[in-house]
Amino acid sequence: MIVGEQKPIAEIKAMVAPYNKVLILGCGTCVKTCFAGGEDEAAVLTSALRLAFKKDGKNIEIETQTIERQCEDGFIKESAAAVSRNEAVLSLACGAGVQDMARRFPVTPVLPGVNTTFIGVLEKQGLFTEECLGCGHCELAVFGGVCPVTRCSKKLLNGPCGGSRDGKCEISPDTDCAWQLIIARLTALGQMDNLRTYIPPKDWRTSHAGGPRKLVREDHII
Amino acid sequence: MNTPFKPKITLFHCINALSDKDALNEMGSDTLELKVVKLPCSAMVKDIFLLRAFETGADGVAVMVCPEGTCRYVEGNIRAQKRVAWVKKLLDEIGVGGDRLALHNIPHGDIAEAVRIINQTVEQLIESGPNPAF
Repeated sequence: MIVGEQKPIAEIKAMVAPYNKVLILGCGTCVKTCFAGGEDEAAVLTSALRLAFKKDGKNIEIETQTIERQCEDGFIKESAAAVSRNEAVLSLACGAGVQDMARRFPVTPVLPGVNTTFIGVLEKQGLFTEECLGCGHCELAVFGGVCPVTRCSKKLLNGPCGGSRDGKCEISPDTDCAWQLIIARLTALGQMDNLRTYIPPKDWRTSHAGGPRKLVREDHII
Repeated sequence: MNTPFKPKITLFHCINALSDKDALNEMGSDTLELKVVKLPCSAMVKDIFLLRAFETGADGVAVMVCPEGTCRYVEGNIRAQKRVAWVKKLLDEIGVGGDRLALHNIPHGDIAEAVRIINQTVEQLIESGPNPAF
């Protein structure tokens, strides 16, 4: 899922301050799971902003709605009536959601309430870890399901560096050495021979280095 | 002559910490306005409930939970403690003041201690003044 973090309240307050009517729009999928922008977070932010503006003697009308996803037209349509009642939208979606909202409502300012952080997993309650860079060419089969492109600090593809100590990366004792994990996993799978194959330097053209990417599925286009 | 400030306090409490709330309801109507919200477990204290209390005019909010290690549902009071800490930080950020919100561990059924804490909260709020959003 996309992992994000709600922006500091002072930054959000400054963004919405020029408007008199604001819609806080939550997103009920990824950012809900990471407690950044779901229904609960939208309600808390609404209440906090109302208090903050009231304290400053400024009367801003804040409406709140949460839709299932802000990155799909079908769901975005559900917010149209609320958007039309307000001067601006504070979107609690990831950057993709904010941009899709902006595309669908071309004359309404759509402001980001969340810093989109990474593609990751919920490792345990309250802990989210980055697992995928979206490089566009997945080689997890070779590495036993552990991605060195994302999880090795140096993105090494042919074995660990000399900075691995007791299973941890030299950048931080809190960071697992991806290569330690890869070797442990391949050993458990009996696939250590995978590492005999030389992996050439990564072709980053499939990643963001090739410019904004598109995925076209002709079979779904009518 | 100015009317003396009569703090509005919202109290959220776990029913396992305080089952007899009548004693609290009868507390000094001359010195404070007390709203009591009882919860089946303090884990039910959501961030939004605490903020809404301030949004609807509370000058202070108290959350009374079971002592650590005695929660009937194991970790309810720990969850409440973390939520209260989170909302205190938020209240500081928006300038309402995190010190207007406090969590207290109450030995089961200790009404005298609960009354003492409410009275102490009244004193603190008289010093801090009314909710700055009102």
